[in-house]
Amino acid sequence: MKMKLFLAALIAALLGTTQVNAAKVRVVATLTDLADLTRNVGGEFVEVRSLATGIEDTHGVPMKPSFVPLLNRADLVVLVGFDCEHAFLPALLEASKNPKLQPGKPGYVDCSKGISPLEVPKSTDHSEGDVHPFGNPHYMLDPVLAKTAVRNICDALVAVAPEHEADFVKNRDVYLAKLDAKFVEWQAALAPFKGTKFVSYHGHWHYFAQRFGLVYYGTIELKPGVDPTARHIEGLVSSMKADHVPIVVREPQFPEKVPALIAKQTGATLIKLPIMPGGVPDTETYIAEMDYIVHSFVSALQK
Amino acid sequence: MCAGVEKLKMKLKKILGVSSALCLCATVAQAQETNAVEQLQQQLRQMQANFEKREAEDRQQIEALRKQVELLAQKPAAVTNPVVAAEATNSVSPGLFKELSDKVDNVVEAQKKSLPGEFNPAIGLVGDFLSSYHSQSADKMGSARPGGFDFWARSVELMASASVDPFAKGWVVANASADAATGESTFGIEEAALQTTSLPGNLTLTAGRFFGEFGRLAYIHDHELPFVNRPLALDNYIGGESRTDGGQLNWLVPVDHYISVTAGVGDQFGGDSPNPNNPGNFRAFYGLNFWGRASTFFNLTDNWQLEAGVSGMWNPKTQDRGGLLLQPNGVTTFTEKERRLAGVDWKISYVPLRENQFNSFTWGTEVLFSDNRFFINPDVTIPSTGYEGSVGSLGLYSYVNYKWSRQWSAGFLFDYLQSAQNHDDETLAYSPFLTYAWTHWNQLRLQYTHTDRSAVSGLKPDDAIYLQWSWIIGAHAHGWTQR
Repeated sequence: MKMKLFLAALIAALLGTTQVNAAKVRVVATLTDLADLTRNVGGEFVEVRSLATGIEDTHGVPMKPSFVPLLNRADLVVLVGFDCEHAFLPALLEASKNPKLQPGKPGYVDCSKGISPLEVPKSTDHSEGDVHPFGNPHYMLDPVLAKTAVRNICDALVAVAPEHEADFVKNRDVYLAKLDAKFVEWQAALAPFKGTKFVSYHGHWHYFAQRFGLVYYGTIELKPGVDPTARHIEGLVSSMKADHVPIVVREPQFPEKVPALIAKQTGATLIKLPIMPGGVPDTETYIAEMDYIVHSFVSALQK
Repeated sequence: MCAGVEKLKMKLKKILGVSSALCLCATVAQAQETNAVEQLQQQLRQMQANFEKREAEDRQQIEALRKQVELLAQKPAAVTNPVVAAEATNSVSPGLFKELSDKVDNVVEAQKKSLPGEFNPAIGLVGDFLSSYHSQSADKMGSARPGGFDFWARSVELMASASVDPFAKGWVVANASADAATGESTFGIEEAALQTTSLPGNLTLTAGRFFGEFGRLAYIHDHELPFVNRPLALDNYIGGESRTDGGQLNWLVPVDHYISVTAGVGDQFGGDSPNPNNPGNFRAFYGLNFWGRASTFFNLTDNWQLEAGVSGMWNPKTQDRGGLLLQPNGVTTFTEKERRLAGVDWKISYVPLRENQFNSFTWGTEVLFSDNRFFINPDVTIPSTGYEGSVGSLGLYSYVNYKWSRQWSAGFLFDYLQSAQNHDDETLAYSPFLTYAWTHWNQLRLQYTHTDRSAVSGLKPDDAIYLQWSWIIGAHAHGWTQR
């Protein structure tokens, strides 16, 4: 009798769980910024999982088999696009055996739709390193372009769960308004430093620099995905000194040694900046991450 | 009188009939006319609406262009919302305008160049070149390559892959390599397979020539191995790469935990096995090879992972596979009757989430048990069908690989093998290796291997040094099997 009751309770619990889950749109975002935006738009009607935890490189999220069941059961996969996730997503999607999420299908939510990429290479020859054929994919560090991602996510959610359209649209507008307000704040904070030059390890910061009137001076790595040579470092240090570049940005997933050396040799300030939420402590949301980035720049430049 | 009245009635009836018919016709005609008018009115309304819509769109376009012209002429319109201003600036600033214009030109040019080839597959070429020194001559180490100094273009592989249609993808790997014994270049199709992409029930079917899923490294190409040479157990028990002509079905078990199950059937198994199994005039179903694998994965922590699997392969009737196998004693011969192979494998890896491109550690092991049955001929003068027996042999390899920068990694491979034909014939090998990867596509590996063989083999211990240079040009996918 006890066993029967236990089984009945177990079945009821399983059914209950299934029903609760079935009511929600299951979304897998590749990176934490997209996961945060999706949570903000989807609210209580979505269940969002992120493949990255925030501390990974955007191109180096480990291809864990445990991601496969997540993708297998998802309704949407939300991605940066512009080939940002080329190192892990295509193989994971193939292994997931989920036809809804394959490229070109409605469940494949490419947030770069509607964004004009910077740095589209004229040639995709590997002599230029691990180039992105569609252009620089790091547009999420521009909060204005992140709004396009928000709209794309909203459209995809509406398409898959039209019964919640009003909620999604309302959530989207509320979030966009919040982002607009923060953008005004960030713009004001960085306004006095327009024209300031900076370098970083990888080319994450072109969109950010363009948006806030800073000058992206160059990368520490020789080419995308290729570590710097001694000659490259020497040339970079020399030109940074000549052009008075005051900031060296190190993304936390790259080794500190070379950026620290360059900062020391040029007299620039070294700052560690996340490239997605969770990259450093207390940056668990997109807005918190951008807050951190802007305030880090301001603090460094006010020194 | 009556007749006249009747005639009058008849006339009246006719008049009434005709007039009724005329009235009806008139009504119908009027109704038709009314319909036509309504239709015309509706058409007019529609045209008017279309005209107004187009006019509104044109006005919008004119307004948008006017604003762009103003902005380009650096006469910004009064925009009070800085976010809107930022977005507007993003789209039409003079610098961006020029950049966009250049991009459009580039795209148009690129389209002109790529249109004729847009349905062509992704193509990549892999080269694998070895230089080596062996302390023993070929006959004393049982190698097809010469002892002493050697250069060997082990393989040049041309890979092409593309979607076949909405339901399948296809790929081909053509291998041109120097024959180990003769040095002559040979060209062969290593893989040519089709794989479904939209089967229901979490299923994927692969058919054609491909590497069957068995164990951990058997279905990895040579240049993708973490060390120079394929482990001895894989060479001896499988026949190198697990190449097969057949079909394979993979099922992702629909649970929250990753479990993958594969089953396949084919007419050969092992790239260096006799190819294909000699069927004679008629091959029975049990003359085919059957294999399967189940694998799973555990996140031990965020950074530590465990992958494990079990595999099996069975060919119930293989006497035609290799013909007579001469034993090391040079007298006794075997003819293989049944091929049976089982394996268990695991890989524990440290893949730090933050800096995995610069730092990682892997420990992989595979243990294989071969239990082939043979017709045993203890005396070459007696026909080889007189006696049956099985030879149970154990083989394993275990390796560690530590990466401490984007370029540098080093590791150690341990090999142990009991020959599939004679478990007293044992081989042990120890191989430290050092890898330098300039980039993803270009790497050098230095490896030292000491090989010890038991006396029954009649072979001598050997010391070898290898320098491997492998490179990739063209398309390069980060595939699921290479993870």
